[in-house]
Amino acid sequence: MIAIFAGMNQRLSPFAVAATAVAVACLITTSVSGQQKVVDQIARAEQPVVSPADQQTIKRFDQRLKQYVKVRDRVKAKAPKLAKDSTPEQIQAAETAFVSGLRASRAGARPGDLFSSDIAQYIRATLKREFTPTEKKEIKQVILEKETDIAVPLKVNYPYPDPKEFVEMPATLLLKLPPLPKQLKYRYVGHTLMLLDTDSNLIIDYMLNAIP
Amino acid sequence: MRRNTESLLIVLVLLFSGVASTNYSQTKPAASGVAAGARVSQPARPTVPLTLPLKEGSVRFAIIGDTGTASKQQQQLADVMLQYQQAFPFEFVLMMGDNLYGSETPGDYRKKFQDVYQKLLDNKVKFYASLGNHDQPNERFYEYFNMNGKEYYRFTKGNAAFYALNSNYMDKAQLKWFEDELAKDTSDWKICFFHHPPYSSGGKHGSDKQLREVVEPLFVKYGVNVVLAGHEHFYERIKPQKGVYYFISGAGGKLREGDVKESSPLTEKSFDRDMSFMIAEIVKDELHFQVISRTGETVDSGVLKNQKKKA
Repeated sequence: MIAIFAGMNQRLSPFAVAATAVAVACLITTSVSGQQKVVDQIARAEQPVVSPADQQTIKRFDQRLKQYVKVRDRVKAKAPKLAKDSTPEQIQAAETAFVSGLRASRAGARPGDLFSSDIAQYIRATLKREFTPTEKKEIKQVILEKETDIAVPLKVNYPYPDPKEFVEMPATLLLKLPPLPKQLKYRYVGHTLMLLDTDSNLIIDYMLNAIP
Repeated sequence: MRRNTESLLIVLVLLFSGVASTNYSQTKPAASGVAAGARVSQPARPTVPLTLPLKEGSVRFAIIGDTGTASKQQQQLADVMLQYQQAFPFEFVLMMGDNLYGSETPGDYRKKFQDVYQKLLDNKVKFYASLGNHDQPNERFYEYFNMNGKEYYRFTKGNAAFYALNSNYMDKAQLKWFEDELAKDTSDWKICFFHHPPYSSGGKHGSDKQLREVVEPLFVKYGVNVVLAGHEHFYERIKPQKGVYYFISGAGGKLREGDVKESSPLTEKSFDRDMSFMIAEIVKDELHFQVISRTGETVDSGVLKNQKKKA
C-alpha cells in the first residue's frame, strides 16, 4: 500500500494523494465494520438516552460493581475449582463453599449497596421511557410469567432458591440496562429487579418497581 | 411347579416368535418408513421405521428438549431413543434446555438425566446442552453436558457448526461473541440451538419476539440454516422465516397437550398429543429429519435443502 502511494506521489499532487489515501482508508473501515456491525447496529438502536448526569451515575454504579467483583473473586479463588467435566458432587461442593465464603465476606451487605437510589432512579426512568406501549406489554408478559409458586426472599446475601426457575431477561431490555461484569446477572422476580451472582446465585442486591 | 414351567415356556415361545418384542416396523409403520435393519449389517439391531438415509460419513444426531423431570414418560421416550440409536447410530444429542427441573442436587442430576440416558451414555453418545429457564448456570460444568464451562459455545461435526446459545440471558457480550464466530464460520451448515423459540404457535408462551429482534438479523446476515428451540412442550416445524428453518422440540420430559394454536399461520407441522424427540442426518447439502413420539410413531419427517447463503 505504501509503495502504491509512493508511486502515485510522483504523478499526482500531494492533495490528490492524501484524498485517495483517505478514501481507501474509509473503504477498508467500511468493509471491516460491515462484517461486524449487526450487533453494534442493534445496540445503537437500543441505546437509551443518557444525559451527562446519567453517565456519571452509571460510572459510579460500574465502580461499585467492580468493587464487588474484586471481593467475590477473592472468595472464589479460595473455593474448589470446577473443571469443565465436573461431577454433580463437585459442583455442589464448589457452590456450597463459595456461597458460604461469599455470605461471610458480605455479612454487612444492605439493600441499595449497589443499586443506590440514583442508579435505581435512572433504571426506572429508562425502562419507562424507552419502550412503546406494545413493547411494554410484551416485556411484562415475559417478566411476570411464573411457572412455579416458590417464593424468592427479598433479602440481600440470601440464596436464590435452587428449585425456582429464572425468568427470561428480555433481550431488548437487557440492552437498555447498564452492562454488568460476567460475574453478575440481572434477574426479575415480579416487579423487582435483582442482581444475582452468576456462580453462587446469591442475591447481591435488588430494587423494587423496576418494570417498564 | 408345572404351572411355572408352562408359564416360562409361553414366555420363551412369545419372545422367540417376536410377539413380545418391540418391533415398530410391524406395529407402527411410518408412511415413508424404511426398515433400518435392511441397511445396517448388525442383525441384532431392532427394526424401527426410519426415514433417514443412513449414508456413510454423514453427521447423525438427535434433538431433545425440556427433559429433566425424572418422570416415567421421560424414561419411556429415552427407551424409544435408544431403539432408534441402535438402528440409526447417532453420535450426539442436542439438548434444548430445562435439562433439570426443580432442585439440582447430585441426586437430581442422576434421576433427571444420567439414569434416564445411561444406556445412550454407555453407547458413547455425547450430549450437548443449552440452558433453559429452569437450569442453574453451574450446569455448564457438568461432565455429561459437554458445555466446557461455558453458557454459550460452538462445536463442529463434519461440515456442520453447532451453536448453543443461552436465550435466557441474551446480553451484548453473548451477541458479540455469536456474531464474531458466525463472521468467520465457513461451515456448510450453521445450526443454532437454545431454549426460547423465536417463532412458536404455542398458547402458553408463543413467539419470543424480544429475542427474535436481536438474533434474527444475525441468522439472516450470516446464513444460519436451522434454528432449534424448546420451552414449548410440544413439537412444531415452523414455515421457513426469512429463509431460515425453525423447529421446536420441547416435549422430551413434559407435554402441554393441545397447546399448539390451531390454524396458526406459522405452523408447517405440529404434534402436541404426546412427547417426542427428533433425529437428524446431514448428508452434504441435505438435512434429513424424523420426529418420533413416545409410542414410536413417526409424526413428521422430511429433507431440508441447504440454503447456501453467504455472509
